[in-house]
Amino acid sequence: MRASLFGRRATSLVLFALVAVFILGPLLWLAAHAFATSWTYPSLLPEGLTFHWWSVVFSDPQLAASVKNSLYFSPLTVLVSAIVCLPAAYAFSRFEFPGRRVFLIGLFATNAFPKMGLFVSMASLFYGLHLMNTIAGIVIVQFIGTVVFMTWIPAAAFSSVPRALEEASRDAGAGAFQTFLRVTLPLALPGILVALLMSFLASFDEAQGTYLVGAPVFMTMPTEMYSLVLNYPKQVAAVFAILLSIPSVALLLVARKYILGGRLAEGFQIR
Amino acid sequence: MTALRSGAGARVVARRRVSSESRRRALGLTLALPPVLLLAVFVGIPVVLAIGFSLGHNGGLNSTIADIGTGTHSATSWWGTGQAYVDVFTDPRFLRDLGVTVFVTVVSTLLVIATSLAIALNLRLRGGRLATVFAGLAVVPLFIPVVIASWAILTFYSADGFVRTAFALVGLEGPTWGYTTIAVVIGSVWTSLPFATLMATSGLQSVPDAMIEAAKDAGASTRSIVTRILVPLAGIPLVIATTFTAIGILGQFTVPYFTGPNAPTVLGVDISKYFQAFNRPQESAVMAVVVFALASGIAFVYVRANFRSAKKEGRI
Repeated sequence: MRASLFGRRATSLVLFALVAVFILGPLLWLAAHAFATSWTYPSLLPEGLTFHWWSVVFSDPQLAASVKNSLYFSPLTVLVSAIVCLPAAYAFSRFEFPGRRVFLIGLFATNAFPKMGLFVSMASLFYGLHLMNTIAGIVIVQFIGTVVFMTWIPAAAFSSVPRALEEASRDAGAGAFQTFLRVTLPLALPGILVALLMSFLASFDEAQGTYLVGAPVFMTMPTEMYSLVLNYPKQVAAVFAILLSIPSVALLLVARKYILGGRLAEGFQIR
Repeated sequence: MTALRSGAGARVVARRRVSSESRRRALGLTLALPPVLLLAVFVGIPVVLAIGFSLGHNGGLNSTIADIGTGTHSATSWWGTGQAYVDVFTDPRFLRDLGVTVFVTVVSTLLVIATSLAIALNLRLRGGRLATVFAGLAVVPLFIPVVIASWAILTFYSADGFVRTAFALVGLEGPTWGYTTIAVVIGSVWTSLPFATLMATSGLQSVPDAMIEAAKDAGASTRSIVTRILVPLAGIPLVIATTFTAIGILGQFTVPYFTGPNAPTVLGVDISKYFQAFNRPQESAVMAVVVFALASGIAFVYVRANFRSAKKEGRI
């Protein structure tokens, strides 16, 4: 009995170590390259340590510009997406109207068509509408990837606010708007926060569409990453990878509680 | 008199309710329309254009691309022509890559679901600190941009990567998985694991403790608790996890582009290759439609599962 318990504990520790290496290994291995002078197989450690590659990235105007572009476009896209989608999410949750379910599924179904296959005809459409190489064009192409998050997750969050609470507030004399502001919104806020976060990541991560619409005028960090990997030493790409991960990791720490608490999972069940 | 008045009052209230009902409908529709219209224009129209182009409708917005591309067929009847489809489906390279795509999708999805289910079951049945850290660990990839993830995985499993280095330390020749289909599967599992884990843990967490206790009291083994109670009751979130994972992997580009071999590759990469490198945009459109058809088939399962659960719970 004791031996089998010990055995089980050992197995779960070994499994844990395997999963930890599988998930974190590639990230740590890559991050280590950002500080390495050179690194040759089969040595486990690099020849030396240096900050040289960081100065290469920070002194390259093209790379610096892409950092600035990314930090400009992603918040802008999230803002636009919130303005366009959050009222819709509220409507999906609280109003009954013709086509409600079809719209909800339609918003999801746009994800089923491979993006790569769309860009061909999307390009002709964007040319026709004079959106190529414009800020509006990039915001639109990044917005597309955020819609599912910004409608489905907040809709579920609004739905999870008990109607009895809203009615109680109305009975106590609060107006519809005040009730929304004081009761519904605060209770739905964690879900909305998760939606904002997922949208930010989707927009920050978007590479192919942004490249199609923005290159070569507007390069963002992910689009720059594609050429970086091919044209620069491995260490420069590693530095850039760390920089590119900072915003998402920061956001992870902020919203960890809600995402692990099931807000994200709840958002994807049709109501 | 009082009866008359109350009757009139009721009628007024009823009329007001009807008008406010229809006003609410109109308001709901108005609020919901902006994102729907935006997607209809910027995704819906391109989808229709792409399908039309694959059938040889080369006019309108398709005309530029039809002129530039080579090997383009034009519609011969009102619905178009199937010639581009014949070209693609008689191309041995396409058939091979279709096979690879299906293989990568099926294997990766199975691995993702099995792993996330194991992590979620461990958390639900045994719990404890280690199980929580386990689940937290599996969510980490959600926050790493896919470009970075793909590249990190490539360097980790490449010829001079960590895996080969670790093997070399103990005097063994390790496998080189960089630029192979195995790396594509590894990358797909890595990037898809967080979402599936979140769905599985949330699904299993919603099964009431009392049910598990009751089954335990009745002498049920852990195995039958898992297969008879936990998995069936968490069925919907698991179906959602499976369909999302499969659809995501089916059309992916970044992971196979970075980590996979030049040939055979998956259709997501082929779509871009046939368009850019081979300049055969019509065949690229055909492939996109094929992936779309496969993804729609998977999406149908998801929608049906969701509807069935909604009906059972009386939500519709």
